[in-house]
Amino acid sequence: MKKETGPGRRLRIEGKTWLIVIVIVTLLALPLFIRSVTFFQFMILILWYAYLTTSWNLVGGFAGVLPLGHAAFAGIGAYTSSVLFIHYGLTPWAGMVVGGLLAAIVGVIIGAPTFKLRGAYFALATIAISEGLRVILENIQKIGGFEINGARGILLPLKGHSPIDFQFLDKRYYYYVILAMLAVIFIITYRIARSKLGYYLTAGGEEKEGAEALGVNVAKCKLIAMAISTFFTAMGGTFYMQLVHYIYPRGILSLDLSFEIAFIAIIGGRGTLIGPIIGAVLLVPAAELTRTYLGGSYEGVHLMLYGAVLMAVMLFRPRGLMEPLEAFYRWGIQKLAPEQSVATDEVK
Amino acid sequence: MDITLATIINGVLMGCVYGLTAMGLTLIFGVMKVINFAHGSFLMAAMFATYYFFRLTGLDPYLGMVVTVPLLFAFGYFIQHFLIRPVFKIERDVREPISVLMLTAGLWIFMDAFALALFGAFYKTIKTSYRGAVYHFGDVTVSVSRFYAFLTTVILTVLLYFFLKKTRIGKAIRATGQDRDAARLMGINIDRIYDVAFGLGIAIVGVAGAVLMPFYYAHPTVGVVFDIRAFIIVVLGGLGSIPGALLGGVIIGVVESVGAQFMTATWTEGIIYAIFIAVLFLRPEGLFGFKAEW
Repeated sequence: MKKETGPGRRLRIEGKTWLIVIVIVTLLALPLFIRSVTFFQFMILILWYAYLTTSWNLVGGFAGVLPLGHAAFAGIGAYTSSVLFIHYGLTPWAGMVVGGLLAAIVGVIIGAPTFKLRGAYFALATIAISEGLRVILENIQKIGGFEINGARGILLPLKGHSPIDFQFLDKRYYYYVILAMLAVIFIITYRIARSKLGYYLTAGGEEKEGAEALGVNVAKCKLIAMAISTFFTAMGGTFYMQLVHYIYPRGILSLDLSFEIAFIAIIGGRGTLIGPIIGAVLLVPAAELTRTYLGGSYEGVHLMLYGAVLMAVMLFRPRGLMEPLEAFYRWGIQKLAPEQSVATDEVK
Repeated sequence: MDITLATIINGVLMGCVYGLTAMGLTLIFGVMKVINFAHGSFLMAAMFATYYFFRLTGLDPYLGMVVTVPLLFAFGYFIQHFLIRPVFKIERDVREPISVLMLTAGLWIFMDAFALALFGAFYKTIKTSYRGAVYHFGDVTVSVSRFYAFLTTVILTVLLYFFLKKTRIGKAIRATGQDRDAARLMGINIDRIYDVAFGLGIAIVGVAGAVLMPFYYAHPTVGVVFDIRAFIIVVLGGLGSIPGALLGGVIIGVVESVGAQFMTATWTEGIIYAIFIAVLFLRPEGLFGFKAEW
């Protein structure tokens, strides 16, 4: 973003930059002060969801379609990198790129016929394909020479503390890895949102015919977004595999995960930069708490919560929780420094 | 040879039930241009309604339809009236409201999780006098409850056809599906038509739930099986086409039961998904023509 010379403009940017710096420094410094493994487990989970929802947002938010099968791509990533690691000793750091490429190909295969049609087809296709992939993985013992053990899933051979193999004994390393991954996808989203592609996507999502009339190849833009989104989602799958060392089709390729990703992003505010992250920060802890304290017979309660919150958001805040939070932020700024915010409004 | 014939017949019978579920989905889509993602959850609700009606009264599920189907109609009517309509209003001028899709997806997850908390993860079955009974047509053995389900589907399809073709409200429903704005200009109350169409789609699911219970089980996630099938069927038959839904259902049913003769049942699911992808690529408007404005 270019700095402009108007006084209000500069102040606003400084206010925002200030906030961002605080958040980044706090996130980076956390491991220096906190040792609790549970805490980092918790943080990693939030960041992982934030990463997945931000990836989802590229296609679900900006492209104005509704992908409901992103767990499939996380599964492709996890399976690809692990199979390559087990059979060829290829480090998951490289394996996750291979998995990402494979996921991008599958994403494009789903998108190519459906982006030309109305959105319902795409949403249906994503669900059907992710379920289909799960069924296939559950029933295959071997792909070529690779053992994937069908429904039993695969176990990652443990190497102890081995950064080259993407395996750490201390959770804080995983914390930094997922933080970096989130930063990367965030910056990419930021760049895309401000690029021609981003504007084309928004235009195509909101008014397909209008954008096409102006010469935008809407389907192609959506395909690019889909490829990027699925690529990074698959890398998130690999991260999950490295974290828990075990994967089975029903675990990662579940509809539940697909819905969680989509719902968190939508509740937070799809098509906005930090909406999906806000969604993850608000919802994942709530889900974890219900899972911890209700657990057992009430295992689905967090999904009930997601579903209910989603419906409420659709009814009362269709743009997501970002909107009221932003209003609150503005209000706070105004309370803290009334004159400055008046200037901001003028510039705006 | 006879085994094959029996397999095909059984596939057709089961396919009709799939088609029945898909018919509700495609009816709702045809009118509102919205995929009801919670469709399977409504089926689950219908099955539990049938189950509890049977447990309470001991009356046959087919008799129970007198109660369960209106119940489901009201359920769908009010969900559309109070939940979907307000969201629709926000995106009135959009031809295909994505936020309504999201709302129904939220409803899907909510209902399934709610049912899990409410009913527990147990498989619930009912014991009718004809559960497990079979008919013998020559060498072909056919389950009685599946045969009833098939008959019901055929009767319902005919009724639905005449309802949509002949009655005033049926005509209004079709008009709304063909052109929302023109229908409104003709003095049709679009909002009410949506309510009725959604209720009707859910009522059809109510029938499906009733005919399924004598040979299937109720479970909080039972809807997912039928949901995914219904999604594939409606795309196969052409979104919005009612005969397409029935034929698509029969195709899926036959593929499933014939496929199961040659491979494990779970693999046949793979074939269904393969057909789905092939249709998306080759004939996205569905197998049975029907290339609408979309």
